[in-house]
Amino acid sequence: NMPEINVTPLGAGQDVGRSCILVSIGGKNIMLDCGMHMGYNDDRRFPDFSYITQNGRLTDFLDCVIISHFHLDHCGALPYMSEMVGYDGPIYMTHPTKAICPILLEDFRKITVDKKGETNFFTSQMIKDCMKKVVPLNLHQTVQVDDELEIKAYYAGHVLGAAMVHIKVGSESVVYTVSVNKYAKSHISAWIDKCRPDILISESTYATTIRDSKRCRERDFLKKVHETIERGGKVLIPVFALGRAQELCILLETFWERMNLKAPIYFSTGLTEKANHYYKLFITWTNQKIRKTFVQRNMFEFKHIKAFDRSYADNPGPMVVFATPGMLHAGQSLQIFKKWAGNEKNMVIMPGYCVQGTIGHKILNGQRKLEMEGRATLDVKLQVEYMSFSAHADAKGIMQLIRMAEPRNMLLVHGEAVKMEFLKGKIEQEFSIDCYMPANGETATVTTNPSVPVDISLNLLKREMALGGPLPDPKKPRTMHGTLIMKENSLKLVSSEQALKELGLNEHQLRFTCRVQLQDPHSDPDTLHRIYTHLKSVLKGYTIQHLPDGTVMVESIVIKVSSSAEDTNAKVLLLSWSYQGGEYFFTALCIVKRLMYQ
Amino acid sequence: EMEAVEFDDILDDWFIESLKTYKDLHVYQLEHPTQVIEWTSEKTVCVTGYSLSKNEILELRLPLKLFADENKGLCAERDFKVAHGGFTDGPVRRLRHIPGTRCVVTNDGLSSDLQVWDLGGDDSDVIRRTGSIAGRRNVSERGSRIAARLSSPPQVLHGAQSSDVQLTELTSGRTLYKLETDSTDPLSFLQFVSDTVFLAGCCNGSVYVTDTRTSAAPQLSPPPASSGDSVLWWADASVGPHPSSCRVVRLSSSGQAVVSDLRSLGGGAVCQAQLDVQERCCNLDHIRVSWAPTLDDCISVSGFSGVVQIYNTCGWSMELQERQPLFQHRGHVVSSQQTDDSTPVFTTAHIWHPERPRTLLSAASDGSVHVWDWVDPEQSAADGCWFLY
Repeated sequence: NMPEINVTPLGAGQDVGRSCILVSIGGKNIMLDCGMHMGYNDDRRFPDFSYITQNGRLTDFLDCVIISHFHLDHCGALPYMSEMVGYDGPIYMTHPTKAICPILLEDFRKITVDKKGETNFFTSQMIKDCMKKVVPLNLHQTVQVDDELEIKAYYAGHVLGAAMVHIKVGSESVVYTVSVNKYAKSHISAWIDKCRPDILISESTYATTIRDSKRCRERDFLKKVHETIERGGKVLIPVFALGRAQELCILLETFWERMNLKAPIYFSTGLTEKANHYYKLFITWTNQKIRKTFVQRNMFEFKHIKAFDRSYADNPGPMVVFATPGMLHAGQSLQIFKKWAGNEKNMVIMPGYCVQGTIGHKILNGQRKLEMEGRATLDVKLQVEYMSFSAHADAKGIMQLIRMAEPRNMLLVHGEAVKMEFLKGKIEQEFSIDCYMPANGETATVTTNPSVPVDISLNLLKREMALGGPLPDPKKPRTMHGTLIMKENSLKLVSSEQALKELGLNEHQLRFTCRVQLQDPHSDPDTLHRIYTHLKSVLKGYTIQHLPDGTVMVESIVIKVSSSAEDTNAKVLLLSWSYQGGEYFFTALCIVKRLMYQ
Repeated sequence: EMEAVEFDDILDDWFIESLKTYKDLHVYQLEHPTQVIEWTSEKTVCVTGYSLSKNEILELRLPLKLFADENKGLCAERDFKVAHGGFTDGPVRRLRHIPGTRCVVTNDGLSSDLQVWDLGGDDSDVIRRTGSIAGRRNVSERGSRIAARLSSPPQVLHGAQSSDVQLTELTSGRTLYKLETDSTDPLSFLQFVSDTVFLAGCCNGSVYVTDTRTSAAPQLSPPPASSGDSVLWWADASVGPHPSSCRVVRLSSSGQAVVSDLRSLGGGAVCQAQLDVQERCCNLDHIRVSWAPTLDDCISVSGFSGVVQIYNTCGWSMELQERQPLFQHRGHVVSSQQTDDSTPVFTTAHIWHPERPRTLLSAASDGSVHVWDWVDPEQSAADGCWFLY
């Protein structure tokens, strides 16, 4: 029975949503991510846990849960899973993810329950109880979940706190990653410890895309902002502190400087506080090398960008404002939006995905009349722009990832297997590995060929090297002799003598004997001498001795001659050899038989 | 997201300028460069690799944002989608979509044989080879040119030299028409100008005008008068509502462009010009010249360098005067991913969108593919405002 690893995606894959993958490896069950599908209002937004068990809690069926990063499509269903379905085991995630998850979950809960009036949803207390079960992970630190299962997190760079996870049970391993940035890619081979995981699991939602360059996205952003400013309009950019705020600020600052523009740019103070907080979190969590690749200066020290005061929103003339929250669902960004929405010269640029129920989501769906509190309607006359800066692995990215991680098998989680036959073929062709694409609820079974590590004793190695000859290489293996000792979970290859010593055994000597009858009337010593002379002439290259004790030795084969008891003209040849000398026996026997016919 | 920010060239000159000079701009990087960009539907194009061993053939869906005219702002989709893909055993230098079908026909640019492919439908994303069509002659240096127009059953016109041009029925392989001529001039251009009339342009500049309905010999027009001896010629025909309104532009390897009416191809040209192509001694296989489908009098030229140039032939005279391009797309040169400086990047193909007046796709030797909608500098100057659409 070949060992195997089973992988079952539980989440939907059509668009962003509900990432949740079940992995069974070496008798352990691990859940990778536990996301919410943002497009549904009913139970379809949660992963289908009935696959694990029809009813009852999941604690007995799962050894651990691992969350890759804080996006809601990867952690949004966590409180539902742990508190409403029931799971009390460990939930692993990096420190930044642990810090950020509860904030996003609470925001999301508020929008869903308060704005949309939903009832079957997790509560604030459930979020808190869920987070109590979290065990934070440090980068590059092996964590023993139990005696057999160990996990390790690697820097992925996709968002703050995002990690690739390496899962190992015995000699089988799996690596799970959502997306990796350029920096992480250039270091993957070093970090993955060159152990060539049995399976590399990656999301492939965008695997069939070829991305437009970052420069063109930025160009579009600048063009929109500039056009609006030029016609005297105001630009509102609702942002998350964790999002692209800082990058976009730097972009605008450089552009303003370059074009000598005078219109004011503001950011709300809430933004800077949060951003600085997250930046500090990032700094303490990553190492020196990673930190060096990022912006080293104070987050919001700009020449052209100033802190915002709510009264500025009423100032005449063009301006740009960065304000939180990002989906226009509350707070300052919503206040400003209400003031500016009625003027068609103005613009709002949404830099990311908005959850259903938020104003952001509504205007991105083309709604031009909004119902506000107190039955008031708001006419949306300003220009609405949706800009996506998110970084997902595209076709080229997935190929690069495989090239660097060198897995034995590839597994893509997406959902629409039929649409990716080409990519599957491409991967199989280029890397000569199997590519699995299980649909939701479908299990992919990957047989593994685990390599068994064996330690070799130094003495044995030295002895083999002393024998000379060419060094062993994978194409020309060399046979060697030794004894394999299995002690607890380790395997050792030692010389036989060492093995005997360790086991406290005495070595037995095996000697084989064989009688050959031959007709020879001469005396015993004469016959022996004739045999000696004959063997010496036909067996070149062998050590043949005629010993004083009346024996002939061919290497370690001993030949004695004695007269037959029954027949005076017959001789009995006694050949005897120890186990090692066996190979020469057949040669000697042939010669002797030939002697007999002379 | 905490991505590394590159400060050095965040905003370089060309990108800043592009805010005014382009309405839309998209820059993509394929894994391997293509010499082919061919429309397979209103929103999809085919590209293929041309390395000597295995290559990919891809059908790409253009970004939704490009086509979202009313609610353009609400569409964030800027990426190409690989709709279908397949593998080829050798290079693909020519590819033609057979209108009305999901078939494309390819040639490796080395032999005269063609491969036939099925691009696939909704149920599969794999492009499969379904057959091949033998060329009339086995030996060919430059490979076959391919042309097609809407017909039932589907047919393909192909040939490597003037003497072996034939019209083949796709499914049966039957030869429906053969161009009868003794001269073996290699072809650089093959195109239908109507259901029954096609043009076969030779590298030496001569053009055969053939009507497949008649058995009469094709009309042969001599090469345009030119200064150089060993110049090579390429051509393109503008397909108007009536074959008689069709115009032919011929472009030489030294940058001379000659415009003629189809009717009077043999007689004098309508106008000509010496283009500012900044020619280099690079691979002439990549020269492309094309009429703009909707802009009157405009032609586009690429392959001499890393630039795509657009010229307005209106105002050209019979004298061979030097003319400057109306617009130049320098994107491939500016954002080249090539690390090897010894061979500068050069454009390998370009194509106009059939309906959007100023939208083009261009490809270069470094694997880049750009989609761009340029602003007419003369028109915007007249308007006096850069930013109104």
